[in-house]
Amino acid sequence: MSDLDAELADIFRDEAAERLDQMELALLAVESGAAGAESVDSLFRNVHTIKGAAGMLGYDDIRALAHAVEDVLAGVRETAAFPPELATLLLRATTALGGQVTGAGEPADELIGDLAASLAASSGGAAGDPVAGRNGGTGRNGGTGRNGGTGRNGGTGRNGGTGRNEGTGRNGGTGQEGSAGQEGSAGQGGGAGDAGAAMAGGAGDAGATAAGEPEATAEAETSGSPIKGRPLRVPAGKIDRLLDIVGEFMQYRGRLAHSLGAQELQSQAVREILAVSGRMFDELAETAIGMRTLPLATITRQLPRAVRDLALAAGKDVDFVLTGADTELDRVILESLYDPLAHLLSNAVIHGIESPAERERAGKPARGRLEIRAVPRGSLVEIMVADDGRGVSREVIEEARHAGSLADVLARSGFSTAAEVTDLAGRGVGLDAVRDYARSVRGSLEVRSEPGNGMEVILLLPVALALLEVLLFERAGRIYGVPLVAVQEVITAGQTLLLEGRSALEIHGRPLPVADVSALVGATAPPLGDRPPALVISVGSRRAIVTCDMVLRQQEVVVKPLGPLLAGRTAYLGAAILGDGRIALLLDPAALARDSWRLPEIAGPAASEPAASEPAAAPKVLVVEDSFTVRELQRSILETAGYPVVTACDGREALAALDRDPEIALVVTDLQMPELDGLGLTRAIRASAARSSLPVIIVTSRGSEDDRRRGAAAGADAYMVKQGFDQQALLASVEHLVGR
Amino acid sequence: MTVYVRLRVASERYAIPVQHVIEVTELGEVTAVPGSLPEMLGVRNLRGRVLPVIDLALLLGIARTAPPGRLLVAEAGGISAGFAIDAVSEVSEMEEPTEETESALLTGATLAGGDLIGVIDVSRVLASLEERASERSRR
Repeated sequence: MSDLDAELADIFRDEAAERLDQMELALLAVESGAAGAESVDSLFRNVHTIKGAAGMLGYDDIRALAHAVEDVLAGVRETAAFPPELATLLLRATTALGGQVTGAGEPADELIGDLAASLAASSGGAAGDPVAGRNGGTGRNGGTGRNGGTGRNGGTGRNGGTGRNEGTGRNGGTGQEGSAGQEGSAGQGGGAGDAGAAMAGGAGDAGATAAGEPEATAEAETSGSPIKGRPLRVPAGKIDRLLDIVGEFMQYRGRLAHSLGAQELQSQAVREILAVSGRMFDELAETAIGMRTLPLATITRQLPRAVRDLALAAGKDVDFVLTGADTELDRVILESLYDPLAHLLSNAVIHGIESPAERERAGKPARGRLEIRAVPRGSLVEIMVADDGRGVSREVIEEARHAGSLADVLARSGFSTAAEVTDLAGRGVGLDAVRDYARSVRGSLEVRSEPGNGMEVILLLPVALALLEVLLFERAGRIYGVPLVAVQEVITAGQTLLLEGRSALEIHGRPLPVADVSALVGATAPPLGDRPPALVISVGSRRAIVTCDMVLRQQEVVVKPLGPLLAGRTAYLGAAILGDGRIALLLDPAALARDSWRLPEIAGPAASEPAASEPAAAPKVLVVEDSFTVRELQRSILETAGYPVVTACDGREALAALDRDPEIALVVTDLQMPELDGLGLTRAIRASAARSSLPVIIVTSRGSEDDRRRGAAAGADAYMVKQGFDQQALLASVEHLVGR
Repeated sequence: MTVYVRLRVASERYAIPVQHVIEVTELGEVTAVPGSLPEMLGVRNLRGRVLPVIDLALLLGIARTAPPGRLLVAEAGGISAGFAIDAVSEVSEMEEPTEETESALLTGATLAGGDLIGVIDVSRVLASLEERASERSRR
């Protein structure tokens, strides 16, 4: 075993042990009746993470047992029932996992069988054939075919014979299979079965578990792998304390300079002392932070092989590229980064990258590409996991349009992009765990994907946990800070245009939403002045413009958590105490960028009330276009001209929009679209009694005379070519058709 | 008999068991944290620490005519927070609360010197605020 292998194994052992501890606490609460099915999510995540990491490291026994536990928990999630007896069984599993994690455990085929059987039993009453079939698969994964099979049968039998089932009375009838169970199980399991049968009720079952397992537990405790000698092992807590003090000191240095005032700072002696102590302090700070940073390579050297193994198991052909492995990160972040990376990689291999045959059908190279790229960005590190697989479905993209971001949709508990559950990954547990992780270290997560065109998951993590370079700005007397790395530039917000009914400004040719920081955080504030200063915030692919009263300065600050009492609708990274003792609230740039797109629409020309005395409202236009860029372009042209605009991504959506919204007075549609194309849409409109006279403009990249004729034949009123798209021509056609 | 810190919020009298009280100081400058619960006044810099400050009057539903001026720093269950109050009257022994109250945030009330004094359940106050805050952040 190389040093690195040993280190990885250490990391895995510590993490798994911690997660198992958490699981045991939760299970004990369920067992004692203090908790129920609501605790299943965290249990599920913990065991899923253990399974993922074990799979990456090739610990097949652990992975198999963890998978069986996960199956049982999936059952709990489905039925929303978590009987205490089940917690007892799962506690046996966590004990066994604990033994395996410390290297003292053995393959737990029999236990896996019990778990599978409990699942079969719990769903058996309600015609659980598909579930039973899946459990069969789990049992096989537990080890060789013969062992898995035996384990499963044994489990069923023993399950019937325990006091647990007699106590609940539900499965008492399966008790006759008890003999089969004892035959199939090892001595320990048989003993437990007997004891359980001899005692009545749930208490008896708990007793049986305790009686059956002491040997295994004791062994696990005594033969944990010895701690290996290293150059100097300092408890992380001590280095944390050192960093804390460095941070505090930095704060006091700022206050010292502040309170010395201009006059003292004129003094040569004071200036010299400040300069020398400042240099020494900087070195101290750097050294202290350096003690905590290690290159990403510390945890990534195993990844190429892990990806290869995963790909092999999943029947995929994957080229794995890793760049920026020398990028340094806080050790604490680094150690906990392995699991999230493992999740992302296995998600990409299992769900993202298609089989070679499917790829060839889609016109892609048979071999998929999977990349991890780490780039230092000031006091943050950007880690991107990108694949060129199938990406997310169009439905998910659409959902993300409503939910605000792709990450929000994908990180929803229980969301999975995989159609089926596999042993290797799936169930969508991955991304919410990854996001929780990113947030826990004050980082953020962003997802980009297009149907058919792969997926990029971007993690933005702080290099060090305590210090952050921020840009400070002021609004309505409050001071806010945002990580400098997320600020693309500072501008003056001049004349804004309207985009989807929101204020927008064009930055380098792209319209971005403009939002007052007070509105974003939910504070009240007097109106901004003319041409207020603004920050262009950029996180991943998402950008937005945030306006304020005044931009103050950039500063390295110590990030202090706001604590649980101040959680709320606004996402803060924390707070910082400035040199003058005032507190700056540190904003999460990912939330700012997201929420700017979500703010309630402002009252524009579109929002006029339909009143008889008022001048007639501008006619509403439906833009149908599958390309986001073209759609937004047309929308902004029309909205700038004062037309309210609704949009649809294809003909089918357009028809739904027409059904919903009788105010639509004109349709501008693309020709080539998925589902229902522009010609089909036009024909459908003409065929409908209510809408047969609705004006339709077809805008397309095709420009042949033939197409034009087909458009006219379908009933289009005007036909425009995208090439050399002329916005005046579009507006003229619209005006002409709606008679304005 | 337990030792209590007795305090005044607007015109009402309350007490907090002394083991939960870390210090009493002036309210100082409190920075509001937009988006948090209405009962959270904000944060205060307490010797380099960022301390959450709770509007005790709002929490207990007491109408107030003048702004609070004092801060009582309390701790329970690993969370510390400041309560904005008007004044601390005394630190003294008091009978255990025997009178039942309607508020879930009080352990009970006790009669002392003719006044009915509500005993604030610091653990429950902090736990319920934490729970509501986390609910709010999920929406």
